[in-house]
Amino acid sequence: MKPLTIGSALIRVLLLLTLSACTTTTVDEYRENDTALTLASNERVVVLGRRHYADYETEPDFIDCIGEKLNADKLVTVLPERQFVDLLYPWFEPRTAPLGLKRLAKMLDEPLIAQRFNKQGLRYMIWIDGSTETTEREGSVSCAIGPGGGGCFGFATWEKTGTYEAIIWDLHTRQESGRVKVEARGSSYMVAIILPIPIIAQVQDQACDGIGRQLRSFFRANTRRELASGTP
Amino acid sequence: MNAHKNNYRGAAMKAQALLTPLLVLSCLFASACATQLEVVGQFPPALTHKLPLRSLVVFEPDFANYRFDSTVGEEVSVAVGQIQVELFSGLAASLFQHSSTATDMTDNNDVDLILVPRVEDVQISMPNESQLKVFEVWIKYNLQLFDSSHEPVADWIMTAYGKTPTRFLKSDTEALQQASMVALRDAGAHFITGFSRVPEIQQWLRQRQTRAQATNDSTHR
Repeated sequence: MKPLTIGSALIRVLLLLTLSACTTTTVDEYRENDTALTLASNERVVVLGRRHYADYETEPDFIDCIGEKLNADKLVTVLPERQFVDLLYPWFEPRTAPLGLKRLAKMLDEPLIAQRFNKQGLRYMIWIDGSTETTEREGSVSCAIGPGGGGCFGFATWEKTGTYEAIIWDLHTRQESGRVKVEARGSSYMVAIILPIPIIAQVQDQACDGIGRQLRSFFRANTRRELASGTP
Repeated sequence: MNAHKNNYRGAAMKAQALLTPLLVLSCLFASACATQLEVVGQFPPALTHKLPLRSLVVFEPDFANYRFDSTVGEEVSVAVGQIQVELFSGLAASLFQHSSTATDMTDNNDVDLILVPRVEDVQISMPNESQLKVFEVWIKYNLQLFDSSHEPVADWIMTAYGKTPTRFLKSDTEALQQASMVALRDAGAHFITGFSRVPEIQQWLRQRQTRAQATNDSTHR
């Protein structure tokens, strides 16, 4: 029998590390009407996170992830959140960002702000509200180190729940176009026998995938219809 | 006798050899517990209508070198002086037609409005104190406004708040830097959106307008 080399041991550890636990995702969708959202070639979409609550805020990396999902098939051009917030500073800070369409309409009545929106070719604003939280935690892993070496021992498990809602605002009609709600749950595990082996549930990634795919369908349906009507 | 001396010297050397790494380690642990940072960053220009005023922003040394130090619980030291100067310089440039800065009120008298920002209070809340998964920063400013003859116009107490959630593998320093930047941006948002709404400033602006109109009318007659 061949002795276990360091290289093969490392590969085995890495393989174990890539194991991911199961995540269940539920997506709910609400559309104002059956027609898909129109987006001209020079028009863009901005995805923004809600940050005004005291106990949580929508993660910026989650917003970036949704932007990437929307832009995946190059049908929807997304203006990055940070760029948008800086271009419209100080009107989209947690203190000043509009919570409803009435407030947004009032904001767009200000020529200086409306002009900036038009210059950026913004057609839709998508607000994301929610966060991923650790809901349950059990077990423990303890590690020790001494002159002869060190190691970890134990078992821990934790459950994460990501709940997010996306609301689409049409900036031309100044009306709501649709909503998508997603809930993703997943349990992660950490087994430690000398080496700690984490088996992580990608809850936030799954929530992003679910919400991103659903949001894309709001725009994609329109492109499909255009293509179908254009075929002889 | 000499043998005793040598034994003593040897023991002392051994103790010293043991104590030195212990001291180094304890110093390292002590510094690991303390959070020290100087807030750095950039602010975008504010999207707002410029007021037809020539302003002077006076940055007193206390304001320009402001550092918040907390020794209660975990030792925290946050320097916000320089970034505050950058923030208020930018805000004044965005809000007023002409703006300049000085370190003293007597430096320049050829202005309509003098703004002297002062920090009244800074509070920081860490997750281990609040049991919440957020780092929070509050800044309370006292914005003193004077007219060209150095007469007080308003004493505006303006608060700013910023928070950032705890993240896996994110250090306290990094989190406090982010929360401080959010608080400073919030201060900017409060300043731009609230300036003309402060009753004393509103009244002063109205009086100025009436005076200017009266002067115009008398010159036309």
